[in-house]
Amino acid sequence: MASPIRILTAVPICDGHDSAINTINLEFIRHGIEVIYLGYHRSVGDIVRAAIQEDVRAIGISSYNGGHVEFFAEVVGLLRKRGASDIKVFGGGGGTITHEDAIAMQRKGVEQIFFAGTSLAEMTDYVRDNYGKAQKKRSRAKSHDIELARKLTKIEDTFGKGKRPAWKRKVGNPRSAIRNPKVIGFTGPGGAGKTTLIDELVLRFLNRDPKGRIAILSHDPSVVGEGALLGDRATMINSQNDRVFMRSMATRGQAGGLSPATHDCLALLAQSNFDYVIIETVGTGQEAMPFQKNGIVGLTVLVMNPDYGSRLQLQKIVMLDLADIVVVNKSDLQRARTAHSEIEHRLEQNRRAQQLIDTVAKRHRDPGVDRLFDLISANRA
Amino acid sequence: MSKLGQVVEAVEKYNRFVLDQVKRARADGKFGREVSNRWNETKAKTPVTHTPTGLPLPRLALPEIDEPGEIARYLFGEGLPGEFPFLNGAYREMYLEPAREIELSSYGKKISTNAAKEKPTGDGARPPEEPTRLFSGLMLAEDTNERFHYLTQHQRTHRLSTAFDGPTLYGIDSDADGVFGKIGEGGVAIDTVEDMVRLYDGFDLGSPNFSASMTISGPAPIIMAMYIAAAKRRFGSKVVPKLRGTIQADIFKEVQAQNETIFPIEASLRFLTDMVEFTTREMPRWYPISISGYHIGEAGSTPVQQAAYTLSNGFAYAEMFAARGIPVDQFGPRLSFFLDCGLDAEYIALARVSRRIWAIGMRDAYGAGPRGQLFKLHTQTSGRSLIAAEFKNNLTRTAAELMLAYMNATNSCHSNSADEPFTTPSEEWIRLAAHGQAILLEESGIFKHTMNMLSGSPGMKAVERAVEAAILDEFREIERLGGVLAAVEDRFQRSQIQNAAHRYEQQIYDGTRPIIGLNRYRNGTDDIPEVKLARTPRAKQQLQVDRLRKFKKKNAEKAKRALDKLVDVVERGENCFPALLDAVEVSSLGQITGRLQEVVGRFRPMV
Repeated sequence: MASPIRILTAVPICDGHDSAINTINLEFIRHGIEVIYLGYHRSVGDIVRAAIQEDVRAIGISSYNGGHVEFFAEVVGLLRKRGASDIKVFGGGGGTITHEDAIAMQRKGVEQIFFAGTSLAEMTDYVRDNYGKAQKKRSRAKSHDIELARKLTKIEDTFGKGKRPAWKRKVGNPRSAIRNPKVIGFTGPGGAGKTTLIDELVLRFLNRDPKGRIAILSHDPSVVGEGALLGDRATMINSQNDRVFMRSMATRGQAGGLSPATHDCLALLAQSNFDYVIIETVGTGQEAMPFQKNGIVGLTVLVMNPDYGSRLQLQKIVMLDLADIVVVNKSDLQRARTAHSEIEHRLEQNRRAQQLIDTVAKRHRDPGVDRLFDLISANRA
Repeated sequence: MSKLGQVVEAVEKYNRFVLDQVKRARADGKFGREVSNRWNETKAKTPVTHTPTGLPLPRLALPEIDEPGEIARYLFGEGLPGEFPFLNGAYREMYLEPAREIELSSYGKKISTNAAKEKPTGDGARPPEEPTRLFSGLMLAEDTNERFHYLTQHQRTHRLSTAFDGPTLYGIDSDADGVFGKIGEGGVAIDTVEDMVRLYDGFDLGSPNFSASMTISGPAPIIMAMYIAAAKRRFGSKVVPKLRGTIQADIFKEVQAQNETIFPIEASLRFLTDMVEFTTREMPRWYPISISGYHIGEAGSTPVQQAAYTLSNGFAYAEMFAARGIPVDQFGPRLSFFLDCGLDAEYIALARVSRRIWAIGMRDAYGAGPRGQLFKLHTQTSGRSLIAAEFKNNLTRTAAELMLAYMNATNSCHSNSADEPFTTPSEEWIRLAAHGQAILLEESGIFKHTMNMLSGSPGMKAVERAVEAAILDEFREIERLGGVLAAVEDRFQRSQIQNAAHRYEQQIYDGTRPIIGLNRYRNGTDDIPEVKLARTPRAKQQLQVDRLRKFKKKNAEKAKRALDKLVDVVERGENCFPALLDAVEVSSLGQITGRLQEVVGRFRPMV
């Protein structure tokens, strides 16, 4: 089976109309498409960077607030400038985009504009017909981001075909598979705030180290046998930065919070020129730690929500035994103090040097996140 | 229990109180007679009016009941128009034309003479204010200003409603990266206090006949400060207490539906409260917030969700303002509401029920006096209900929605243009939309003769009961999640709205929700006219950028000092509105937003 089509969708800067794109995203994923959703109010630079890093086939832009002729043209122009003109641009804006506008936009390199009244089925068919076939021979990669992005696609595609990648031999050497202190794994139940926490750590890193570079491998679940909505970028506002390389992966039918291709992709990123490589699993339940015990991940962080239920539930969370750092996020919630002491007690039984930290990731300049950042930095040093 | 839980209890308790009054009026002869006397007096005092054909009608219609229990059920459960709990209307008389004086002896003959002599002076209970609002905003401030003057040339009262362009709504300057094409699109571009001076040039901002309404939420406190600063530049400090108008400033609905939030929720709410504390004290005629369900409805919520989220947002704001120490009778009367009106059955009574719940909640859970109990409502017909296919049908849709809006006794109303689904409304269709209102209110006899003309049918009662119960259920769910703020942060309302939107689309797709001309009686022809839109010319966009850069250069030093002071006040946790008033004199919207974001952070979007 061929790999799913990957496309990126977004709403332009100064535009919050996301009702149409939300519906379209859902329709796309129901038809086997993987959608990386960047969110609303996004700049041309953010869109193009994300499209390149995610190595998508096309960008779909939904614009309802005017200025679309300029905006779409700028996206096409910047793709061209970055050597990524094989990424196509399409979009729509209900009645705000006239036929005349559409002609002007197509002249500037936009592939397709959908007008008011277009059915969801027509859009889905368009994407499948035009972006469904395998990419023809691609021109030489003009930047590190493009090169890296294409390699990651290759790994994912090879797994998609059910083969073990030949490339694997290269990364399969013992050195790349051993624990790497710069690789940090984040896991924890859905809704605990992993994505926000990572984004806050990224902000601190970018501020502290003006030249530092960071890679993020984030995961979202595939709808059973179908596409996936990969939406972490929409929340990670600080990570949309030229010094951050982010890749969103769908689990593609594998249980446990990661994708079949994750290990190889992570190995590749770990060998690349980043100061940190962060991997985020999908929201996990009580099952075992998703990271291999002696795998590449050098530091594991378990992010907990204070509302995990009873003390008995806590006993069942295997990951508590294995994580190096346990974070109780949302520690402003009423239950947080109880949660802290229950988890603390649970960790004491493990008799390992595990750290427990309380954070409120949603709060700007949260001291708990500062402490976590210091701890991670210390581990690397 | 949060305040919302207390509101639920208050409504339940009030409903029990009504039943008790019914029983008491039946059992207690003295009380029964009191109730009956009041009823008979009200009826006797109701003036008689005459239709153009000479038919006499009471100016207030009341149900045909004479049994004390039923009278009590009406008086306490619904209230006369203008009386608690305001189910039938916030005011005693609404939409009514001045009473015609008729010589009954010459029935039919003299009427035309009298009617011809009659001048629309409007000496009713309320001044005859046009309930129609004029919404505009395009290109640069001077262009919108010109448009305002054109729209108001024949009007006695100047009620201007202002739309802002994308960069302004997001607190960004016109010279920011990648926004050039958006300058002046969809609304007016405002970067500095100088733009604000140009925007309302020639209007007497301190006059009782002038009011400005500004549709902006994320950067509302900054824009509000610019408006005050502009007014002071033109009329001196004395104008401030006289300023009239509304600024939307509804942060909750932005996070739930409209996505124009620029600071994290808590910081946004704090800046809002700073503004409300200032305006309710210094500008007693200003409405510093318009609690809006419209955008929730347009984003795809069900009607019940729309009313429930809007009301609960309102109660949450009230709780916040009270916690700041602003007296409820200072801020209560300065809250106003904005709802969507579509075609679903719920809309038959949605606003009526909302008015009742608000009044009971504010009186019994917040201790508000009579003026603070009023749910003052602006309605707009549903944009989402309009479609491109056979778009002229939209006139009928909007007309039906208008009818529902006025049946709900809305205080003012905006009717959408039929061409909205495929273009920015054109003159022709805007005019038809406004005429729709005039036909309903002035030409037809449905609303102009008698208050309550369509209120209180058995069907309406059934909808009221069902809607009220459903709204209270939504309140209980929000309460269970820890109150409005916790639910918002949990994305509760947001995901509920998205689910409802998806279900709606699905229903259209499978035909269970008939849309005439789309999934039923479709003729297959595309009758959308080719439209040409007025776009902001590049030269104008460049002019805005140039003016802004000049302003920044001129004020660079002063701006730095003012912004440092602002940041200081924010860090100290004091009310920052006075510092904002100083800052807008010398710094731009984007400069202020940028500095504040350094301190409080940026809003993290919810997907």
